[in-house]
Amino acid sequence: MFSNRIPIAKMAAAVVVLSAVTCAIMLSINWNGAEDSTAAPKIDDLMNIAIVLSTVIFWIVMVALAYALHAFKVKPGDESDGEPIHGNTRLEIAWTLVPTVIVLFLGGYSWKVLDDIEQPADRQLTVDVFSQQYAWSFGYPGKEYAYSQGVLHVPVNRQIVFKMHAQDVIHSFWVPQWRIKKDNVPGITTTAIVTPTKTGTYQLICTELCGFGHASMRAKVVVEPEAKWEKWVAGLKEKVPTPFMVSVKQDTETNPEPLERVEAE
Amino acid sequence: MVAAFKRPGWYRALLGALIAAGLGVGLVVVLRSISGLSAFQSEQTGYPQVVVPLIMAPLGFLLGLGAFDYWLRWAFGLPTIPEDHAMHGAKSWKDYFKVNTDHKVIGIQYIVTTFFFFFVGGLMAMLIRAELAQPGTQIVGANTYNSLFSTHAVLMIFVFVIPVFAGIANYVLPLMIGAPDMAFPRLNALSFWLLPIAGLLFVGSFLAPGGAFDAGWTGYAPLSTGAPLGQSFFNLGVQFAGASSIATALNFLVTIITMRAPGMTFWRMPLLVWANLSTSLLVVAATPFIAGAQFMVLFDRIMHTNFFQFGAGGDVISYQHIFWFYSHPAVYIMILPGFGIISEVISTHARKPIFGYRLMALALIGIVVLSYSVWAHHMFVAGMFSWLRVPMMLTTLLIAVPTGIKIFSWLGTLYFGKIHTKSTAMLFALAFIVTFTIGGISGVMLGMVPFDIHVSDTYFIVAHIHFVLFGGSVFTIFAGIYHWFPKMTGRMYDEKLGRVHFWGTLLGTWGTFVPMHWVGMDGMPRRVADYAGQFGNWNLLISCFAFLLGAIQLVFLYNMIVSWRFGPKAEANPWRANSIEWLVSSPPPIYNFDEIPRVVGGPYEFGIPGARHAIMPGEGAEVPAAQPTVVGH
Amino acid sequence: MESASVPLPQGGAGHAAEAHHHGPPEANQSSRIDRQTLGILLFIISEVMLFGAFFASYFFLRVVVNPADWPPKPFELPVAVAGMNTAILVSSSFTIHYALESIRKGNKQGMKLGLVLTWLLGLTFLFIQINEYVHLGFSARTESFGTIFYSLTGLHGAHVFVGLMLLTFATIRAFRGHFDKEAEDHLGVEVPGIYWHFVDIMWIVVFATVYIL
Ligand code: HEA
Ligand code: HEA
Ligand code: CUA
Ligand SMILES: [Cu+2]
Repeated sequence: MFSNRIPIAKMAAAVVVLSAVTCAIMLSINWNGAEDSTAAPKIDDLMNIAIVLSTVIFWIVMVALAYALHAFKVKPGDESDGEPIHGNTRLEIAWTLVPTVIVLFLGGYSWKVLDDIEQPADRQLTVDVFSQQYAWSFGYPGKEYAYSQGVLHVPVNRQIVFKMHAQDVIHSFWVPQWRIKKDNVPGITTTAIVTPTKTGTYQLICTELCGFGHASMRAKVVVEPEAKWEKWVAGLKEKVPTPFMVSVKQDTETNPEPLERVEAE
Repeated sequence: MVAAFKRPGWYRALLGALIAAGLGVGLVVVLRSISGLSAFQSEQTGYPQVVVPLIMAPLGFLLGLGAFDYWLRWAFGLPTIPEDHAMHGAKSWKDYFKVNTDHKVIGIQYIVTTFFFFFVGGLMAMLIRAELAQPGTQIVGANTYNSLFSTHAVLMIFVFVIPVFAGIANYVLPLMIGAPDMAFPRLNALSFWLLPIAGLLFVGSFLAPGGAFDAGWTGYAPLSTGAPLGQSFFNLGVQFAGASSIATALNFLVTIITMRAPGMTFWRMPLLVWANLSTSLLVVAATPFIAGAQFMVLFDRIMHTNFFQFGAGGDVISYQHIFWFYSHPAVYIMILPGFGIISEVISTHARKPIFGYRLMALALIGIVVLSYSVWAHHMFVAGMFSWLRVPMMLTTLLIAVPTGIKIFSWLGTLYFGKIHTKSTAMLFALAFIVTFTIGGISGVMLGMVPFDIHVSDTYFIVAHIHFVLFGGSVFTIFAGIYHWFPKMTGRMYDEKLGRVHFWGTLLGTWGTFVPMHWVGMDGMPRRVADYAGQFGNWNLLISCFAFLLGAIQLVFLYNMIVSWRFGPKAEANPWRANSIEWLVSSPPPIYNFDEIPRVVGGPYEFGIPGARHAIMPGEGAEVPAAQPTVVGH
Repeated sequence: MESASVPLPQGGAGHAAEAHHHGPPEANQSSRIDRQTLGILLFIISEVMLFGAFFASYFFLRVVVNPADWPPKPFELPVAVAGMNTAILVSSSFTIHYALESIRKGNKQGMKLGLVLTWLLGLTFLFIQINEYVHLGFSARTESFGTIFYSLTGLHGAHVFVGLMLLTFATIRAFRGHFDKEAEDHLGVEVPGIYWHFVDIMWIVVFATVYIL
């Protein structure tokens, strides 16, 4: 090893200090906004772990580079070559294995998080999401054809299964404060699972390019106590469903299989 | 005058284009009337009577320009004139506008053409930033905006980054392996001339009714299958660009495998050669998939087939699978040659052998293999098979390992070296290590499904894109251009201006693309002309840095043009490098060598007294005659 | 356009040996395989991948979407005719092989015969295929089935056409007395031959997938 010729200890110290400072700053900032669903804190924790590891890696690279530039920058007029070092098997093995371990850890942890944010709970509530250029409408269970346009009402602290149907092109359902996003794909039904934990109003954003109206394809999301929500749904007067809604409904009743297929395991 | 139209050249080319276009229209009219359709009435998106001529005209153009003359003569067994206008070398600037089979001329043709499109694409980026400087729509409407970022990305990817690497390699690779030219010089010329065609199709789509293609560079169905005529320009342009890069990749592979100088074993190849070998493997096997994807979209649009028509049994998501099966490998096609450049630059300017040369080469191969197994990481929220997400996540994260090997080995190369930072090439190489590490790490975060669910299709993605593509690929391109500028032009560039360009670009890149991470995570979606007021300030800042970034590129332009004309003469080997291209004069003589050099050692043997990579004929021990070449008939 | 980029033999340093001007030095041959053959093999790889894209689409349209009936009623495919066509194409592989064997032995007549036979067989194949299209009764717009049927068989038809072009060139040159015994003297037959075998094998795959599965 070259450890006797490089101040490994000093450099390690520098990495630790710099990483500590950077992490302190990075973790104190709330990057993703309010955490208003059960998934949100889990995803943010995952992100923070990734941030910590990334910071360390970043500073390792930086410090290594900085020291090289400081120590091995050529002296003016020096035309000679560097030392003919062709490699070092130990080092090479090290920087193959260590990153492998790190990414496998990140992968495993992400897998775990993915599993429990998609864990089905009891007392699920299924809400249909109908998207088209450039508007959202939402169908609620119980009442035959009760649906709302441009505004989504859901109860708080209850797991909601969104069944998403797109009429024309691909749209995407995103509520940043819930951290949940899923494309609505024409021809199939996609699902997203959310458990809102705070009441309030949010914005539903379309995040898949769907034409000139893409930027303005938004909807209002209202999360309210369950009782209030039930009153609101009851208050929804029967509307004439769009042909699309009818077809979707029939489809799900007659043969759910083809509609569900893509999401199926 | 008539003679001018007979001779291969621009007159005949334009004539050919016109005739071919005419034939195209005729063909459509005939076919339609046979199948009992009204000859001209366009079916809302189809416009076959425009699309078919768009396919034919370029072929007529190439025929007229003379790209096929030699082959046709040969095919019909006529006597082939050895130099039928497919001439070698360039005596005047006019020769760059002809079908030229000299790999050095073609290299220059490539580089100049692609940088032209870089500036066009960049100008579009400037418009994008101007529009996004404040919330609300000021300069362009939503439709134009969508066309802008779509064409911006398509120009940058298909007619800048991918081909400019082919251009640089075209120039230096045959020299590096001690070959007089590429394996198929005429195919090489053809692949170049396909390129301006693709670029013009992309830019020309702005003239189409309904405006340029506006479904993003990804052109997802069914948005693209229902889009106005402009989308077809994209479908076709990609075919030409794709054919071009496949042909070039074939050429590189055959050249590298069959034309290495005596003594140049695979383990003695410079890493740039390794990099282009692996890139070409990706291109040959992956590019057909985007060709396929765009053919399907085109058929859906023109013949109203049902690949992606969900009403009639089509599958919408299949487009994304087929598209990304090319387009993920494509992102490595856009970085691996850069890795090669960085290796050359760093080892030369640190005067030190590459650290762990073999592992570096193997890492490239590892990336090639892995990158076929990760495409669905672009589809984590697309509603595809949910069981596919975790396997794809793991393979995606694993790609960090071979890439890390490269980063760390470059650092290792610097240690105990003699680092010269006077060359702008080296500055860009060092900055590349930093910016690409950041871009790569944000990529790893994207690879983690739950986090990607949140940031997918937000500005976080845009930030990642530009850190890896601008801070990554484009930095390596700048490094390469500065490094081989003396070799290509025979003159030195102005280091002072180079420094200005470097620091400006570095500052601009960070200032522009770092804040994009933040607005993205905070809830700003991508591909929007208008956005919530809360992001106003950040976007204003981003735009300012973007304009700086753009303006600084003008310094680069000025430096290159002026130095090319008036720069001080460069000697053969200004950087005291080892590889063969530096053993010949700058610019190299026509046909590169009088006799093929002999390779006697590794490419990076700095610091070993008396060690040599290659010996030119005449000097040193006398060269054993190379075995006779197999020449086809 | 892909066809335009078929590396025809002699694409290489064709004029290398010209004596009347200072040409390039002979490149060192660093591999046993010659450029033209390697070139066509690599090109075939990317051709296979192009088919791969459409087979991928086939997989999605048939397996993933999983429509009720495939092919949709009331249509069915003339497997017998296609089978006969397969036989024709396969036999053409033997004739091209015969042509090659002959020229390897220096028997130019045999080569010409082989080439002409192959060419005719190829043409017959195309003719029967087009005739089949006319009588199928469904179009590329008929469900996803029609789409993928026509695109797979059509893509292959296009490749037969390209193969035929290459064969045409080889034949013309053969009758002009070009090729000869030595390996490097009949690459002009060798290379189209390799491509023709590929077109052949590809058809067997397409046939198996589209008509039989
Ligand atoms: C040059 C181009 C390039 C390169 C090299 C990369 C490299 C990587 N990219 Fe990126 N990517 C793009 C161009 C590129 N990407 C583009 C254009 C898009 C958007 C497409 C669109 O428009 O939708 C995209 C989108 C994209 C997505 C989809 C996001 C989404 O749409 O939701 C993902 C998800 O996994 C991803 C991941 C990665 C990963 C893991 C790498 C890895 O290869 C990175 C590996 C490198 C490092 C990790 C840094 C160096 C390594 C070390 C210092 C070792 C130690 C590190 C660790 C242990 C972590 N990229
Ligand atoms: C190699 C690839 C590459 C390169 C080099 C760039 C370069 C730049 N890109 Fe690009 N970009 C992409 C690839 C690339 N981009 C891709 C793949 C997308 C996704 C598209 C999609 O969503 O489908 C994208 C999307 C994209 C967006 C998001 C659009 C959206 O989602 O709404 C933005 C917004 O800021 C942007 C900005 C920039 C800027 C400021 C530069 C700058 O670096 C450009 C600097 C260069 C110049 C400016 C040219 C030189 C200067 C002149 C021509 C003189 C004129 C200068 C002035 C007038 C000041 N790009
Ligand atoms: Cu709907 Cu974007
Ligand atoms: Cu990717």
